Amino acid sequence: MFPFDAIPRVITHDAFTELEKGLIQRVDALNLFLNDIYGEKQIIRDGVVPEEFVFLSSGYLPQCEGITPPKGIYSHISGIDLVLGKDKEWYILEDNLRIPSGASYPMIAREICRRVSPETFRNHPVVDNRNYAKMLRETMDWVNTGGIPVIMTPGRYNAAYFEHSYLAERTGSERATCTDLSVENNYLYYRDRKQKVGVIYRRISDEYLDPMTFLPESLIGIPNLMDVYRSGNVAVVNAPGNGVADDKGIYYFVPKMIRYYLDQEPILKNAPTYLPFYQEDRNYVLEHLKDLVVKDVAEAGGYGVIFGNKLSAEELADLKTVIEKEPRRFIAQEVIDFQDMEIMDGDEKVLRKADLRAFVLSGEKTRVWASGLTRFSRNADSFVVNSSQGGGFKDTWVLSR
Amino acid sequence: MGKLKFEYRMELKLSSPVTDHYFALRCVPGDSLRQTVTLTQCDVSPADYISEAEDSFGNLKISGCCREPHDFFACRIRGTARTSGMLLQKGPLHPMYRYPSKYTGFESEVRDFAESVQEECRRNAAGTDMEKAVCAMHYLYTHFSYAPGATDIETTAAEALRLGKGVCQDYAHIMTAVMRYMKIPARYVNGLMIGEGFTHAWVEVYVNGGWYGFDPSNDLHIDEYYIKFAHGRDYGDCTVDKGRFLGKCIPETEYFCECGGYQ
Repeated sequence: MFPFDAIPRVITHDAFTELEKGLIQRVDALNLFLNDIYGEKQIIRDGVVPEEFVFLSSGYLPQCEGITPPKGIYSHISGIDLVLGKDKEWYILEDNLRIPSGASYPMIAREICRRVSPETFRNHPVVDNRNYAKMLRETMDWVNTGGIPVIMTPGRYNAAYFEHSYLAERTGSERATCTDLSVENNYLYYRDRKQKVGVIYRRISDEYLDPMTFLPESLIGIPNLMDVYRSGNVAVVNAPGNGVADDKGIYYFVPKMIRYYLDQEPILKNAPTYLPFYQEDRNYVLEHLKDLVVKDVAEAGGYGVIFGNKLSAEELADLKTVIEKEPRRFIAQEVIDFQDMEIMDGDEKVLRKADLRAFVLSGEKTRVWASGLTRFSRNADSFVVNSSQGGGFKDTWVLSR
Repeated sequence: MGKLKFEYRMELKLSSPVTDHYFALRCVPGDSLRQTVTLTQCDVSPADYISEAEDSFGNLKISGCCREPHDFFACRIRGTARTSGMLLQKGPLHPMYRYPSKYTGFESEVRDFAESVQEECRRNAAGTDMEKAVCAMHYLYTHFSYAPGATDIETTAAEALRLGKGVCQDYAHIMTAVMRYMKIPARYVNGLMIGEGFTHAWVEVYVNGGWYGFDPSNDLHIDEYYIKFAHGRDYGDCTVDKGRFLGKCIPETEYFCECGGYQ
């Protein structure tokens, strides 16, 4: 269940213009980084990113070395999570470059709201967000190597099966599971092997994608798909191996990437982050541990997040020992004081923490969808907005003037 | 410089027919500084299609599929190889060979063993990376027992060290892990050794801008009696034969490897 709250998040025209610039800049730099890591590795040679943060990352897949994806795009659909601080600045929480989900929720929310209250959208200058499917299809078409578009789902028991079906229907793509797809003579085919697939938007994770290349026990993948991809005979959306660019350790380096690849100052800020890997940062972290959030680089999905202020003296001392022993394993961040948003709790307006997942699509150009998924926490004192932990969502309005 | 004749044969017998059989084989030796290969036979059957390509590690890979029901599958590779000494390849180093991998993690067993190796290096005044590699190989050879059946293909370096025994795959994983722990890049290799009845596994160590071969199961430098198939971070990257099929059956695999006729 993912409860919907009717009060929208409103982003003004000017705020969105700035946000848009910052997101495009960030995603462009991340795509250049992925190209570099699986290619020349210049950023490592130039000492901007230490190589252990790349090659010890579980998201780095050596099986993707030397492959150039169609049109050089790795992250076609990026979900960038941000929060709005009390200082009215946006802060990036994390980048999601491995098939981020959630776009269908605001699509449906808007559809329902328009039906319930059409005058709201006549009387307010809200940018229409019903173009997501069109943008997605254009993104897929741009990298298509010559064949039909397919959206691949693990199947009807997957939590996001609804989204997979909905996006397939709206983009005019075939919805497929592994049994609908097979490899022959270095091409990917749909069903009876008469229709070649030119682009596959797969909603299964890298390790399950091809049992002959990754996890052999995967029953939801397509054997030998990586051969087809390597030969340039199909576009895989998003490209496998993107995990190397969106883990918690690499997050620290994204502003540096923007300067390195684009020669620009980052428009959007990271949450202030320290890397115990560097001596100077380590000293600061050990000294201010009780005011910081410590995150285990290897963990995901809200796990391995430790709030220093919740630890006993003994636990703090233990954490210090672990950080000193394995400094590369952790990042530490200042706690961001982010703005509360109003939600309806019964008949009462209450305040809750909320974040925003912005969807950035990289095709012929990099574009930001003028909407997004605003998620809020269930409980007043919680910072956790995940739907699995009882959070809900809102529509996100971008104003056209 | 010498000339070896080799044959690799894999036969898969299935107690009842299977379908949708996909395979990926890394049993075709490629050319390098120390081996030049001429194939006289390369049969994989039955198969609807076969494609040959280089993988991300630089190995030759044959992949394909047989969709129709079948109860027998075979691969036969024959040829000759001109081989020479231990230097395998010159060229830049890929950094991934510096870091632990699935089978070569730095668990406590690996760390402890590597510390003993380092002590042994100090005792023997082994200072250069080449000397350290030789010392590590010899130390492993004398402190680990060859025992078929003690381990399986899933065994990691740490698990094998806990047992104190294993086969060539375990020797190779341990030495690879130890070298990397000692900050010397290393990779896992498989191929054929003269006279052996199975495929063999050994190690390449990156020293002075090139890859050099070491066989810790036999305490030998790689010489003209070895033919290399493939390499990777560990066994998982360069498995000789991988397959997946649909069906209810008991598979039985037989291997026949021959390498000899040195001239």
